[in-house]
Amino acid sequence: MKNSIAFFLFLFSVGLSAQTTISGTVRAPKDGSLPGANVYLKGTYDGTSSNVDGKFSFKTQKKGSYVLMVEFMGFEPFSKELELTGSNIHLDVELKEKFNRLDAVTITAGTFEAGDKKQANHLSSLDMITTAGAAGDVFGALQTLPGTTTNGESGRLFVKGGDSDESQTYIDGALVHTPYNSSAPNTATRGRFNPFMFKGTIFSTGGYSAEYGQALSSVLLLNTNDMPSQNQLDLSILSIGAEMAVTKMKGNSALTASLGYTNLAPYMQLVPKNYQWQKAPESCNGAVSIRRKTGKTGMLKIYSSFDNGSFILAQLDLDQNKMIDYALNNRNFFVNASWKANLGEKTTLSSAASFTSDFDKVAFDGKHWDKELNGFHLKQVVSREMTNKVTVRAGAEWFSHLSEQIWQTPVDSFSNRVNNNVIAAFTEAEMYTSGRFVARIGGRVEYSDYLRKFNMAPRITAAWKLNENSQFSAAYGWFYQNPSDDYLFYTRWLGYERANHYILSYQSSEKGRTLRAEIYYKDYQNLVKQLTDEFYLPESYNNNGNGFARGLDLYWRDKKTIKHGDYWISYSYLDTRRNYRNYPETAIPNFASTHNLAVVYKHWFGKLRSLAGVNYRYSSPRVYNDPNSNNFNSMQTMAYHTLDVSWSFLFKPHIIIYGAVTNLPGFKQEFGRRFSSQPDESGIYQSTAITPGSGRFFVLACFITFTKKGDQNQLDKIQ
Amino acid sequence: MRNVKERCFNEKETTTPINLKTTNMKTIHITLAMLFISFAAMSQKEQYYQAMGESLSQYATCKSMDDFQALGNKFSMIAKSTPDEWLPLYYHAHCYIIMSFMEPSDMNKKDALLDAAEISINKMLEITNKEADVYALQAMFYSGRLMVNPMERGQKFGMLASQAAGTAMGIDPSNPRARLIKLQNDIGTARFFGQDPKAFCDQAKELVATWDGFKPKSSLHPVWGKQQAVEITASCN
Repeated sequence: MKNSIAFFLFLFSVGLSAQTTISGTVRAPKDGSLPGANVYLKGTYDGTSSNVDGKFSFKTQKKGSYVLMVEFMGFEPFSKELELTGSNIHLDVELKEKFNRLDAVTITAGTFEAGDKKQANHLSSLDMITTAGAAGDVFGALQTLPGTTTNGESGRLFVKGGDSDESQTYIDGALVHTPYNSSAPNTATRGRFNPFMFKGTIFSTGGYSAEYGQALSSVLLLNTNDMPSQNQLDLSILSIGAEMAVTKMKGNSALTASLGYTNLAPYMQLVPKNYQWQKAPESCNGAVSIRRKTGKTGMLKIYSSFDNGSFILAQLDLDQNKMIDYALNNRNFFVNASWKANLGEKTTLSSAASFTSDFDKVAFDGKHWDKELNGFHLKQVVSREMTNKVTVRAGAEWFSHLSEQIWQTPVDSFSNRVNNNVIAAFTEAEMYTSGRFVARIGGRVEYSDYLRKFNMAPRITAAWKLNENSQFSAAYGWFYQNPSDDYLFYTRWLGYERANHYILSYQSSEKGRTLRAEIYYKDYQNLVKQLTDEFYLPESYNNNGNGFARGLDLYWRDKKTIKHGDYWISYSYLDTRRNYRNYPETAIPNFASTHNLAVVYKHWFGKLRSLAGVNYRYSSPRVYNDPNSNNFNSMQTMAYHTLDVSWSFLFKPHIIIYGAVTNLPGFKQEFGRRFSSQPDESGIYQSTAITPGSGRFFVLACFITFTKKGDQNQLDKIQ
Repeated sequence: MRNVKERCFNEKETTTPINLKTTNMKTIHITLAMLFISFAAMSQKEQYYQAMGESLSQYATCKSMDDFQALGNKFSMIAKSTPDEWLPLYYHAHCYIIMSFMEPSDMNKKDALLDAAEISINKMLEITNKEADVYALQAMFYSGRLMVNPMERGQKFGMLASQAAGTAMGIDPSNPRARLIKLQNDIGTARFFGQDPKAFCDQAKELVATWDGFKPKSSLHPVWGKQQAVEITASCN
């Protein structure tokens, strides 16, 4: 008995006394010794941290096989099996830097990203909203970025020497057929969508992924908000209308319904104006959006909107030398649905679909012009992470586009129709060799049943990180787009228009300051040319047009130097020529201006609880054609200047007051001249200047939010 | 924190149930054998208590980011060895949130520290059911995200922080850390709107007065925060 007790005591004491000391050093490849690393035996409570010199030492009473773990934030964990016998163990460990895609080099050629995830983003989603002068218009805010040209009489995006119809807009992956409101000829339009709907924006001004086709110049990718967080009621009262939105949560779903009404008539009574409105723009819109979490990772989003707008504008008819009424009624219905889910850890499925029905009813001078567009887009994408450095994406999509127009004059009537289905497939691989180099190689094929032609577009882009803060990025690709409906109405014997992009970009960002410089060359081929004035004859058209655009874009953002202040400066230089459409010769297109500058400044006044914004934009003179002159596109418009200011004031926790003035100093703005279609008796084409609707534009608004708690507000809308 | 250690050891004593007086040799033999077996069987739990107790006692001496890194490492190790306990995850996240507050300027590092805290918070939310302290810590985490860039993140993370604090209060309105974080949020909002934060002095005083009345569920459960509450009342005078 005594022996057995002695035996147990012996065992006990062995257990207590036989300690193993594990010591060593932890190093990082570049930084030398690594302090603060966690060193421990897996599955036990024995361990320590490395000290200032990277040294560690700890004792354990464990016996047998154990795994030693060495871990530190930002490094791959190290593990090694140790045999613990009581004799001391010494090890020197070198940790490898963890490959993290978020910290790794990113492809920036041509791309501006707005979102809240990363510090390196050029714009936050708030910037999209608070930029003075944009007045809550997504496309307006983007016009403060380099690579864009402001066309005041259009309001649309003109990117790197491209025409406005060379840009496409996608919401949650699905195409938006009619991103802009309908407007009268030579009057500025706005985007249809409320920028508060979006949590992130990617604006690519060239060299974009093989996922996106049917755009020669740029794509704008808008991602809508995820689940709202609570029930609320938002009221917005503006000097030009009102909106109400209700959000209701239930389990894994949320529903938001909104109703808005805009009428410019009272405003027009108050301010001096350049246009003669017989009926000021009036519109009524409603939207319903549903968010639903499906399964553990899935998210279903459905957004649908209906919009009905109309106006009557009196414009001078230069041929008859009298005012005629131009009446427009637009009805737009839009549905967008997307679903995204993870299939296992490595595979992501995304489906997107959109449907647009747009109807424009135009009447002027006893003529009627009805335009109807029904567009449908369906897309399925699979993305798979093959290794932590290689991701492969593949997808297929179908675009259906049915466009019809009916012309009616008192004596005549004719109609045209295009029904075009484009089927496309794409694949691309994104490969990192290290955190310093990434390449994305992909390709895309499309077939159009209207044109009865295939196209195949390779896309390649790569980025090298030079050091912690700066990187080079390059992109090359072929881009195709169907000719405009304006031509397809009369002929289907045309091929795709094409642009090749070459982009080289440098970016450096450090502690709240970003510098970006980009040079590019775009080679336009197979552009549609109209050879005769007989636009209704199929033989009037061919694909022999061509052109080029080249330029330099600079961007400087600084959130650091001025306390509570934040500014950016964009400058674009553009050199472009084209011979397309009805151009008699190669010429500078009328939408291009050589120099574009935007300076945007925002300041937060904490004591006043106010965010003030001011922005200045300049565009050098553009060209326009004077039919009285022998030289094509030889006339110059005035240079464009505007200075816009905005002020948002958080009056109460749930009430915000907002005011903005565009073109505060009242700079004279003129966008060229409009000419009569026929010369008068003396053989002269009469003309009149194209001007904006008013010299200045004011908005005053009040945003009120009601929640159960009462302190929610719509600050995110304007701050 | 100091009495945590004491309470911890008290509990250990109660887990050694032997009485030598009433036993003969055989029973001693059996008891010893059982003791040995129970030592092996109990040791995991006991070692957990010991490791947690020791780590918690270090809080009081933590001053620099390096100190909190070393402490955070301990909780990370304990969490990995005891995956079904939420408290090590709680303290791990807490250390990393404090480090993010202490980091002077590097915004990316602040976010990286909070990323590490977020992983622990999410794990905690998976394995716990309605713990006021978990949501109170989540509110503190969201405030950390906000502090990285108040101008751009103010709205989003201010809202998330106040919601998490609200959830914590909903679960246990008497939890002093839930009350503290709610109070800190309310004071921040009042300051922002130019209101006098002294309006909250009574609440702060009451919080301090009732702080010790709240009994944590175990010796390892969170007890921190009284000092911050005292500091709020100090600014009232």
